Amino acid sequence: MTANNLQHHQSSRPSTYGAWRLSVSHASATRLRTPNLSDDGAMSAALATNNGEGGDTMAEEDPRHAVFRERYNRTESRLDAVLNGLNKPLALEDATAADGLVGDDARPPETAPPASAPKKPARTIDEDDYGDDDEDNDEDEASNASPLLCKSAPPSRINSISIPLNLQVPSPQILKPGIERKASSSSDHVKNAEEIRKNLEEEKKALEETVQRRSYTMFHTLESDRDAMLEQEKLDELDRQVESEMNSGAPNAARQDNMPRQGTLSTENLGSSSLTLKNLIAAIDKNRDRIPATQAQLRQMLGEARKNRSKWASEDKVGQEELYEACEKVLMELKAREHATPFLNKVSKREAPDYYNIIKRPMDIGTMLKKLKGVQYKSKKEFVEDLSLIWDNCLRYNSDPAHLLRKKALYMRKETEKIVPLIPDIVIRDRAEVEAEERRLQNGDDADGIEDSDDEEPIMASRGRKAPGKMAKKGGSTTRKALPTATDSSPVTENKVHTAHSVSNLKHEFLRADSDAPMEGSQNGVSTPPPGTLTPMGPHALFNGAHGSQADPSEADVHGGSLTGLAVGQTEDPDVDDIEYKTWKQVTKKDRALMAAERHRLFRNDHLNPEEPAILRTRAGMRRWTRQRQIGLGKLPSDKSNATEDSNGGTTNSRNETLAEGIEVEDDTYLPDYYDPVSAIPDINERLQWVEDGNGQVIDQSEEFLRMAPRGIFVSPQSTFTQKMEANMRQMQDVRKICAKIGVVKQMQLQSQMYQNQFQKYDPQPFIEEDAEPIVMTDDGPIMSQHTVRAALQRSVAKIFYHTGFEEFQPSALDSITDLASNYFTNLAKTLLLYREAPKVKDPVPAPDGRPSFRPRFTNEEAVLHCLSENGTDVESLDDYVKNDVDRIGTKLGVMQERMKSHLAELLRPALDSSAGADGVGAFKDGSEQFVGGDFAEEIGEDFFGFKELGLDKEFGLASLAVPLHLLQNRMYTAHQSQNANSNLSLGIIMEQPAPYEPVTINNINSQIGLVQDFFLARLESNNNEELVEDDDLPLKQRFPKPRLPPTGKITSPRKRPIREQQQLAKKKRKLEEGKAEEMANATSVPEKIRPIGKLQLKMPPPGENMGDPEKEDGSAVGMMSPESLTAA
Amino acid sequence: MSFIIARNRRSVKDAKRSIYGTHIAQMMFVSGETGEPSTETTSLIEHIVQQQVQEMLKECTMLATRRGSRTISTDDMMMLIRHDRAKISRLRHFLQWKDVRKTAKDSEDNKGDAGPDVGMPGGDADLQIGATAAEAGKKAAKKNKVDLVWDVQSYFSEQVPPRDDEEDEEEEEMNFATLQRLRNADERTKNMTREEYVHWSDCRQASFTFRKGKRFREWAGFGVITDAKPNDDIIDILGFLTFEIVQTLTEEALRVKHAEDLSKKGTGGDNQSRKRKREAGLFDPPEEEREPIGPSHIHEAFRRLQRPDRKSRAMLTFTNLMQKSPLRLVGNSKLKELSVITNITQI
Repeated sequence: MTANNLQHHQSSRPSTYGAWRLSVSHASATRLRTPNLSDDGAMSAALATNNGEGGDTMAEEDPRHAVFRERYNRTESRLDAVLNGLNKPLALEDATAADGLVGDDARPPETAPPASAPKKPARTIDEDDYGDDDEDNDEDEASNASPLLCKSAPPSRINSISIPLNLQVPSPQILKPGIERKASSSSDHVKNAEEIRKNLEEEKKALEETVQRRSYTMFHTLESDRDAMLEQEKLDELDRQVESEMNSGAPNAARQDNMPRQGTLSTENLGSSSLTLKNLIAAIDKNRDRIPATQAQLRQMLGEARKNRSKWASEDKVGQEELYEACEKVLMELKAREHATPFLNKVSKREAPDYYNIIKRPMDIGTMLKKLKGVQYKSKKEFVEDLSLIWDNCLRYNSDPAHLLRKKALYMRKETEKIVPLIPDIVIRDRAEVEAEERRLQNGDDADGIEDSDDEEPIMASRGRKAPGKMAKKGGSTTRKALPTATDSSPVTENKVHTAHSVSNLKHEFLRADSDAPMEGSQNGVSTPPPGTLTPMGPHALFNGAHGSQADPSEADVHGGSLTGLAVGQTEDPDVDDIEYKTWKQVTKKDRALMAAERHRLFRNDHLNPEEPAILRTRAGMRRWTRQRQIGLGKLPSDKSNATEDSNGGTTNSRNETLAEGIEVEDDTYLPDYYDPVSAIPDINERLQWVEDGNGQVIDQSEEFLRMAPRGIFVSPQSTFTQKMEANMRQMQDVRKICAKIGVVKQMQLQSQMYQNQFQKYDPQPFIEEDAEPIVMTDDGPIMSQHTVRAALQRSVAKIFYHTGFEEFQPSALDSITDLASNYFTNLAKTLLLYREAPKVKDPVPAPDGRPSFRPRFTNEEAVLHCLSENGTDVESLDDYVKNDVDRIGTKLGVMQERMKSHLAELLRPALDSSAGADGVGAFKDGSEQFVGGDFAEEIGEDFFGFKELGLDKEFGLASLAVPLHLLQNRMYTAHQSQNANSNLSLGIIMEQPAPYEPVTINNINSQIGLVQDFFLARLESNNNEELVEDDDLPLKQRFPKPRLPPTGKITSPRKRPIREQQQLAKKKRKLEEGKAEEMANATSVPEKIRPIGKLQLKMPPPGENMGDPEKEDGSAVGMMSPESLTAA
Repeated sequence: MSFIIARNRRSVKDAKRSIYGTHIAQMMFVSGETGEPSTETTSLIEHIVQQQVQEMLKECTMLATRRGSRTISTDDMMMLIRHDRAKISRLRHFLQWKDVRKTAKDSEDNKGDAGPDVGMPGGDADLQIGATAAEAGKKAAKKNKVDLVWDVQSYFSEQVPPRDDEEDEEEEEMNFATLQRLRNADERTKNMTREEYVHWSDCRQASFTFRKGKRFREWAGFGVITDAKPNDDIIDILGFLTFEIVQTLTEEALRVKHAEDLSKKGTGGDNQSRKRKREAGLFDPPEEEREPIGPSHIHEAFRRLQRPDRKSRAMLTFTNLMQKSPLRLVGNSKLKELSVITNITQI
């Protein structure tokens, strides 16, 4: 209806208060649609007949179809409206129909029909649109339910649309208090006052509701919280001051002593007691006709039964409780206003020295409070006079029209005018006087009269008077008749929460509760769709513009109505604040102040206070958070529970429900959820949710987001540079191997003795870079594992170490260099970041669309170059490093390897240079002078011939006079054996062994040379015609010893026979000699001298035994350690 | 700072202690300063050089101590200038040939063949190299390479004799530097008359150490800073390095002076020059002789050469730490920077 006003307002006004919209789509959608909303309302009326039949069909269809159809209908109707504008008056009238029903809860049902009868069809549609209660569809209920939509619209409308509405209203029910009072009969004077009060309250409710709902779509910054808190502190201060003054003063008879200052326990007690009392009262009301007691008696009984009465309650004074309740409430209300701060305390002379010259009757809220406590007001009039005195004083003193305080005073006066009607027009009288009057009345009237005037009303009034009396302490509500349950339900829980907070004192709870109760009331209209209607979607969508959910239309309506009222209330306001923002500030001030105070408590001198108890997540907080979120998302239509509760109306049946609901709802603050971050419940990542497929199997979603980290992150990338470095390192290892051999050889030349394990073989392991273990990642990006990364860096550093020539290094050295390196690289990265993030500069060439374009200050290349230069290096030095320290070292290492190799070869075989070939044949190629001249010794190059003694080494410049290595076969062999036991021993054998000769047998003897055939035959004969065995193959003991040839090569002595043979020969000889001797002795006496001659007569050994090559060395089985084996290894 | 204080102190006994004045003037002449520098300038340079030499000796002693030796060796000397490849290469070359020359001298002493220039150790290695190269080449004596301690062969535990067929890559570097130097010298001598050239070549003989070893040792603080009997090679290296220091200083000071002259010309300079400019006419006397380098130029040049480079600051980049820079050795890797600068100007 009037939502468009709001929306227009909202959109036309840029929000300058740090507020921004949350869900743009939603807001804009509403905005787009809303301008014609009022027309829509009209059209809905016009299309009522269509809807009636269309509803059924739509129910079966897809709801979306329905929505689309609605949209179509709406567009059509809108077109109509635009074209002929005929519907406009209709719409207005329709609206007035609704308006006319505003705030007439208490109005007897009979009065409603005249106003609404002509538009009956339209109004039934309205009901549907509002999503009315399901109990009954008649006009009464409609009037009961709809008020909250329109009630919030204040009496004085200046809106372009609202004004004609009001003008057209035919009914006498004008909302302005004065008019109303005139229009209504004097008998229901109280009723009217209550109506007004209720109107105001509901207006406030709607306001608060709006604010709350707004908070779903707007973010407000927290910057004004501090001010709110400070103001709140001032208020508290004032309260305390008043309190203490009152306490120190004479004890007031009217006040009860059990009135707690920081009501914690007692408030709860009160709450519960009031609740029971409520039940009692309800029960009495129900069975009123069966109770044989007068009203006065009942009242007295109740008064006695009640333990805790209002502090204002007085036995002697009639009406005091009521009046003072209301007055106090008004004061509290005003006090809490945004602009009330300057009026809280007396104007001090220091601030304004001439103030008391100009102002004769100073007044301020604090003073009023004191007066109130002192029960100095006798009637509403006095109170109101004092109140307006404050504003008037201010206006008088600050005559400058532009004065800031003036604006505030004006504002406050306006506010005052708005809420003053809340105060019942009561003049306090003495109890005795009143009772006397009552008695007089009772006597004069008959039973019916009592029934009319007292039976219903007094008991309710008494309840209304007493119940709030109790409630006042715990957050009482006003003396409302119509919605007692609604007001009753919340305070209890409210109190609990507040006592939990225990921040402010009682009066603030009172304030809080007061602002809360309206909230509930305002939720009336936002009710569930009537179950009776088959197609709840249809009308809703039709009316409000196709919103997806049911909640949206009703919401739009509610804040539409209330906001209009708000706008009206504020347009005249001197303050230029954004209305919405102001409302927000106003409504939430108290809560925000509490929050801010709470936040502040956590700090002490800019530091977190460790003493302060931790903020804990509460279940209630989380529940509220979820609820708010759901409402904000539009999932939850609104507070359904409250709506149903209200739909039950004044019946007491729903007591238990409401109680439960109230407890459930708990703290109903208007603050959006971002004020309570502790309670926020984070969403579960979609990928972590437990989702089942059709078969009830859990879908494993891990594969979508879990992945293996790419391999090779922690190994050095295969660039040419790394390859070069690695090649260098490998070469270094090779050279070191050769180097180790040279060392061994040199050591062997020096030492005469060798130990078994003296020479450890140098066998370096090849370098292998291990990658990290496979890692599962959930996201892209670098792997933040400090340990692993450091290890990788350490390895790189170690590589560089090795490349620089350090074969081994201490871990501490490695650590410190790694630290330095990581530090340096961090600096490098930081510098690069600085350059990359330098502010952009304007591009001299603007973009094609004419706007100035910006480009980064540094190109990538520039950034890198700057970064390098800042860190003391440049491309050139890097290049230089690669050239000199990698490339050149590579070639140097190559040279070094060659040198080492040749040196080793020289050490092993001085005579044989590398051109000699593997078997040394090459050494003989250069003319083979050695064979001609036989001067091998020269090539041996050793003091073999005593050259050193002759001084020839200097003469010929011989490099070394050590014994050539290859002459030290045995040593080399054993050393070699000890080093590699399992290595191939046949390394030195280059030629294959020739095939063994065919053994000589009796069969193939003919193929032998004729000269030796006889010899072989003889041998065969002696061998029993077995085949002959070569000498070399004989068992070791039967072998003939090999003759040793001196260097001269001349065989000087005959070959020795084997020992056994020698012995045999010797025996034979002896026998022979003995036999000869005997012969000689027998024949002639031969002298003994012949013997030695006989010994010299050695026969030549059998030629067969000499067949073995005498030159062949015995140690053929002993393989020598050839230089090849060393160099090749 | 300490340097300036020291300068003030020593200015009192300036005349007495300035022992290298003429030599320094000669060196400056070789380095491009055509004018006659004042005594003040030369003594200032002398002091700078002295300070540098003492610093070098101190560093060398520290290195030697770390190595576990009490006497400094050529390796320590080399270590100090290790970043200047060209200089290192020249030094090695020089030491190598010095060795050759020594053996040659020994072997041919009896023949009396030693030329007058053979036994001329001095600051400028080039001359001797040129002088003895032919001789040494004739005899085909093996030149012993002077190995650097941080070179590849030090990676391995065994030392092997070098082979003859290896050529030294470092020589390229040296060749480039030598060419540069020779070109500079050529530039300077291009317009000289014969007499002037003779003077020039005489000046090239100037040295801190040549034939005044004892004086130099005393001057440099041998016996105080380090052992009193240094190796001959070390003295020679120091002679070479001191010459380099003077040269670098002079060249830098010339550059400073040039810039100063330019700016003077741009702003009109001091009163005198403006007056003269006003009087400029057809028959003006030839341009006044160039003013020689003054102490202020030397000061500025020294300051520039002492300026810490970014590299030494790199690890302090994101810290608030103050950089404590020790005395820098003048002449290190100056050549490379120059080449960079010339490259830039060419671009």
